[in-house]
Amino acid sequence: MKSFLSFSLLLLATLVSAISSTGDRLLAVLDDVAEKATYSKFLGDLESRGFKITYETPKSESLSLFRLGERKYDHVIFFPTKAKGLGPNLTPNLLVQFLNQKGNILLTLSSEVPAATSLVSLLTELDITLPSDRTGLVVDHFNHDVLSAADAHDVLLLPVPRPARPDVADLFASGAPADTPIAFPRGAGVLLGAGPLLTPIVRAPATAYLYNPKEQAEVLAADELFGAGAQLALVAGMQARNSARLAVVGSAEMLSDKWFDAKVTKVGEKKEVPTYNREVAKRVAGWAFQETGVLKVNWVEHRLNEAGPGANVSNPAMYRIKNDVTYKISLSQWDWDKWTGFTVPANDDLQLEFSMLSPFHRLHLAVDAAHSSPEATAYTASFKLPDQHGIFNFKVNYKRPFLTNIEEKNTVSVRHMAHDEWPRSYVISGAWPWIAGIGATITAWLAFVAVWMFSKPADARVVLKKTQ
Amino acid sequence: MAPKRHNARDITPSAAATTQAGPTTAGTVPATAAVTKPYRVSVTTKDSWAQVVGNVWSHYLKTTPQRTKLIDVFMAFLIVVGALQFLYCVLAGNYPFNAFLSGFSATVGQFVLTASLRMQTTEANKSDFPSVSPERAFADYVVCSLILHFFCVNFIN
Amino acid sequence: MSATSSSSFDLLASGGRGKSSRTLLRVVILLFIAGAAIASRLFSVIRFESIIHEFDPWFNFRATKYLVSHGFYNFWDWFDDRTWHPLGRVTGGTLYPGLMVTSGVIYHALRALTIPVDIRNICVLLAPACSGLTAFATYLLTNEMTTNASAGLLAAAFMGIAPGYISRSVAGSYDNEAISIFLLVLTFYLWIKALKLGSMLWGALCALSYGYMVASWGGYAFITCLLPLHAFVLVCMGRYSTRLYVSYTSWYVLGTLASMQIPFVGFLPVKTSEHMPALGIFGFLQLLAFLDYVRSALPSGRQFQIFLWSIAGSVFLIGLLGLVVITSAGIIAPWGGRFYSLWDTAYAKIHIPIIASVSEHQPTAWPAFFFDLNMLIWLFPAGVYLCFQELADEHVFIVVYAVLGTYFAGVMVRLMLTLTPIVCVAAAMAVSQMLNNYLSLKSPKPEDHAVVEGADVTATKKKGGLKSTNKPVVGIYSLLSKGVVVTSMTIYLLLFVLHCTWVTSNAYSSPSVVLASRMPDGSQHIIDDYREAYQWLRQNTKDDAKIMSWWDYGYQIGGMADRPTLVDNNTWNNTHIATVGKAMSSREEVSYPIMRQHEVDYVLIVFGGLLGYSGDDINKFLWMVRIAEGIWPDEIRERDYFTPRGEYRVDAEASQTMKDSLMYKMSYYNYNALFPPGQAQDRVRGAKLPEVGPTLNTLEEAFTSENWIIRIYKVKDLDNFDRDHASAAAFDRGHKKKRGGKKRGPRVLRVE
Repeated sequence: MKSFLSFSLLLLATLVSAISSTGDRLLAVLDDVAEKATYSKFLGDLESRGFKITYETPKSESLSLFRLGERKYDHVIFFPTKAKGLGPNLTPNLLVQFLNQKGNILLTLSSEVPAATSLVSLLTELDITLPSDRTGLVVDHFNHDVLSAADAHDVLLLPVPRPARPDVADLFASGAPADTPIAFPRGAGVLLGAGPLLTPIVRAPATAYLYNPKEQAEVLAADELFGAGAQLALVAGMQARNSARLAVVGSAEMLSDKWFDAKVTKVGEKKEVPTYNREVAKRVAGWAFQETGVLKVNWVEHRLNEAGPGANVSNPAMYRIKNDVTYKISLSQWDWDKWTGFTVPANDDLQLEFSMLSPFHRLHLAVDAAHSSPEATAYTASFKLPDQHGIFNFKVNYKRPFLTNIEEKNTVSVRHMAHDEWPRSYVISGAWPWIAGIGATITAWLAFVAVWMFSKPADARVVLKKTQ
Repeated sequence: MAPKRHNARDITPSAAATTQAGPTTAGTVPATAAVTKPYRVSVTTKDSWAQVVGNVWSHYLKTTPQRTKLIDVFMAFLIVVGALQFLYCVLAGNYPFNAFLSGFSATVGQFVLTASLRMQTTEANKSDFPSVSPERAFADYVVCSLILHFFCVNFIN
Repeated sequence: MSATSSSSFDLLASGGRGKSSRTLLRVVILLFIAGAAIASRLFSVIRFESIIHEFDPWFNFRATKYLVSHGFYNFWDWFDDRTWHPLGRVTGGTLYPGLMVTSGVIYHALRALTIPVDIRNICVLLAPACSGLTAFATYLLTNEMTTNASAGLLAAAFMGIAPGYISRSVAGSYDNEAISIFLLVLTFYLWIKALKLGSMLWGALCALSYGYMVASWGGYAFITCLLPLHAFVLVCMGRYSTRLYVSYTSWYVLGTLASMQIPFVGFLPVKTSEHMPALGIFGFLQLLAFLDYVRSALPSGRQFQIFLWSIAGSVFLIGLLGLVVITSAGIIAPWGGRFYSLWDTAYAKIHIPIIASVSEHQPTAWPAFFFDLNMLIWLFPAGVYLCFQELADEHVFIVVYAVLGTYFAGVMVRLMLTLTPIVCVAAAMAVSQMLNNYLSLKSPKPEDHAVVEGADVTATKKKGGLKSTNKPVVGIYSLLSKGVVVTSMTIYLLLFVLHCTWVTSNAYSSPSVVLASRMPDGSQHIIDDYREAYQWLRQNTKDDAKIMSWWDYGYQIGGMADRPTLVDNNTWNNTHIATVGKAMSSREEVSYPIMRQHEVDYVLIVFGGLLGYSGDDINKFLWMVRIAEGIWPDEIRERDYFTPRGEYRVDAEASQTMKDSLMYKMSYYNYNALFPPGQAQDRVRGAKLPEVGPTLNTLEEAFTSENWIIRIYKVKDLDNFDRDHASAAAFDRGHKKKRGGKKRGPRVLRVE
């Protein structure tokens, strides 16, 4: 119950301080600070959600991500910049270091301005590939906006991104109206490596492809095609092992005021519909800046599930083989402005491993309603420890796209039976004959000794008689 | 004829004596089987075997003092107890092995110690034990037995 | 010190004083001997400090601390989760607790007497204290062998200072052998006593002493084999007696039960072949006793005896056959590998490299005998010869022990220890015999001799000695020859003392945790890298940081750094050791998953290249390879670590496998930086190293001690972005990753 108290205190503390679960210091890097007017709605939304935005240009002397080795900002957003490099304060190594220190990055590309080399290097390190010219244009001759790009076909209209797999959390599409498309104007796409840390958020339609309007304006040879179809990610997310997040938005323009309010018409349709861009921008930025999909472990408790001494001790360091134990873990999810209980999706499973070198048990963790609250959901599993002593880990390893990695490891030692924990011989019926044997031996011995002592003088008389 | 019959008469009690003393050879049942078998092969050996047993028995009755007989009764009892335990182990398995060991070895140990006592208190062996008087032997015996019992009870848990 | 004892001969010889003053003199001499035995073992404390030595003692020390602080029952049930990570060790059930319990009892006794003593000092000084007791026990044992009191004193003196024993009992060498040699000698003494008197009580005392010995040292098997052998030899010599029956059976029954009380031994006495001789002789004696009784019952039955003996033979054969059958059926464990290696010294090297890799399991070199025993080694056969002269039961024991002990000592360096007591006893008998003959000033008259000899003969006849003990009357009449022999003997004794002192101070008093070297000006320079590194670990790492090192250092890390280790000197799990060996001898890419799986945080290696310290890990590396090869013959091959010409090299010529191995990389990582370019030199192997040193990707250097003897590496975490460590490290060094998917061949499509 103590943990509950401290947990609720913690909850209160987070409620008053910030909107993002990790911090509110946001750095926006623009070519020109005046440019922010283009994205005023997007940035305004961020500010209204509690972020404190600092605007800097890459050339600025005062720009630095770190101060005395600590992060100065919690999040960085990069808008397209014309300069080839970003200067000594934003080298790829510094950006990697920023991510390693759990900073988050939102990075926007554009088909008109090649991405800065240091960003390209960063993305390459993360196995996100840009076209070799550092930019490119995604076009789709079947899914473009006929109002604004009737000829160029470079404003793509995309459906609201549904999760790629049923077990992926639906953070971006839930609650979206049925036919409001996302406008993706004049953007570039990236290719994602096969690693589990990368997840596409918005993928290009099957008919889209990327080309370089300057060099490949006339002919696009098949072997020079950078990417096409669903392989091309227009908006992508990367969550590092330490849960730092990086989102790549292929089109910076998509976040501009213009496209927030624009009306678009799909190919073959007449109806003008508003875009879904504002909501998507909010959700992508919200995900990148740890406002959604953030999980945390409130507490973990394991205890002996049998009567006897030690039954009331929470999280003991040592168990005995074949003990019955119960494991409980409480999880919460940060949902824009509050912690809610985290419910595992219906077709997913939260599992507990009990492992030494390899798992001895892998168990389903069931919801424990008794210890749950609106802010936190508790999961529990009970089992019998294996008949093997050693140093074991209770391990909950829950890593899903878009959700904070949960890797909770609690080490316990499982000892052997102590010398007085074995069943006594008199408990085992098989041993009774031998106990009786000892008993008979000892009793007879006592009798013998008594008779011996008693018979001694008589013996002497016998000897006497014999001699007589 | 007369001595022969006398012998024949004597065999009946001596049969009891062999079953008693037989296991002493090695404390195990197969040993007696091995002992008895070869002597059924020919008449001469059978005869000598009978003579041996007869001689031993008569010698025993003649020379053994009453106290020593007391020891022998106790030893016989221990053999029975030990044999029963061993039989049970063979039939029912030795599951709590420590219990079997301690039970069986308590009996064997007690038997051996008693045999030692018997040797030390026998008049004929006096020269072998210049420094051990019968009283001393008995005290030793009690001490050793106590140690033995302690170990066995401790070991059976 | 032997000077004091030899001067005592004069007193003893000349002074026909009262019995009490002789006793007093003996007590004083024994006290002097004990004092000398203790004093000669304190070199290391004076030279260095009061510190635990070597490897195993560190574990014993740690266990003792646990015992003292947690109490006996917790110690009994101790599950040690800080060794053999992640398996843990059931320490309470897998150690011989005698040593720790002894120290604990001493500690609490001193506490009760309000003498506040640090447990460490008790541990450091326990071995010397026990050596004093050993000297006393040797005195008692020798006195049982001969009527000559001076022999006992001499034997005690020899035992006190013989280097063969000192090697295992200097102050700080807190090992099982420290107390068990005392118990060994004591058990033998009690056995001889029991056998001579035919007393159950002495047999029981012998059994208790044996039980204590079992609780202290795995070498108890030596007693378990020696006593039955002695009994068997006696029986074969036709010396069966009721005394033998009483003493042997009471020892066996009580001793076996006592040994089974130790959890580590448990059922072994009835389940393993090592203990079977004792059981067999026990059964055999029962049979003999019965037959003996029957024989006594049949005064004239010569013919029956023949039958009865044939019974005895057949039962013996049947028993042996049964044993073989049971063994092959697997009910009784066959001989352990360590015992095979006693018969065939090459066995271990082929089948159990882990046993062969221990230096003290190597066969003994000839000089070692002389080094450890000096002149005793040539007096020893003389003593054994004297035993043949009057072959009583106890002398048979000496002969049997001498034969068996010599053989074992020849097979394994470590077993020199069990040989030493008998050498001391036998040599003392020889010396005292000689001195007795030559020191008496009056020339013997023939009739004197006749009387003395006659008395001797009757005495031996009573004991059932051989008839050949009727010696012709031989006397030494010339004072000159007496003088020469006595003087030379004295000189030999003095030389022996000098040798012992020299050996003790030079060879056996180094703690091996602290190294000493001489500066050019002759002053002593202490190299303390081990403790420096262990202290670093203790202060700079998490309390549960797992340290991987070769098993030699496991106990020290546990004891000094107090950190969990993967493997240690208790080499009970060959596979786990082989896992570490594999991690050390494989490429980084192979090693890293192994280290991750075992949750290794730091890797510790010993590197002597800078200082010329030859006991380092590169020199032990081939054993790691061999042990790993034993488990993974497909992945590790010893041949790969040699150059094509079959040389074991570390320089530029070294094989690629060698250069890629983790051990090589860790040893020479950054080593070049110490030298001018191209001049890097390994002083142990006298090799010039390649100009470009190895690179490490999955590990980072955490600590290197002053003289580079200990190097500690931290295992990197998985890369935050899932890159492999090589490219992550390359990125950190400033190399940009090559861009573009096209150059890497067909791109892997992402499948969702």
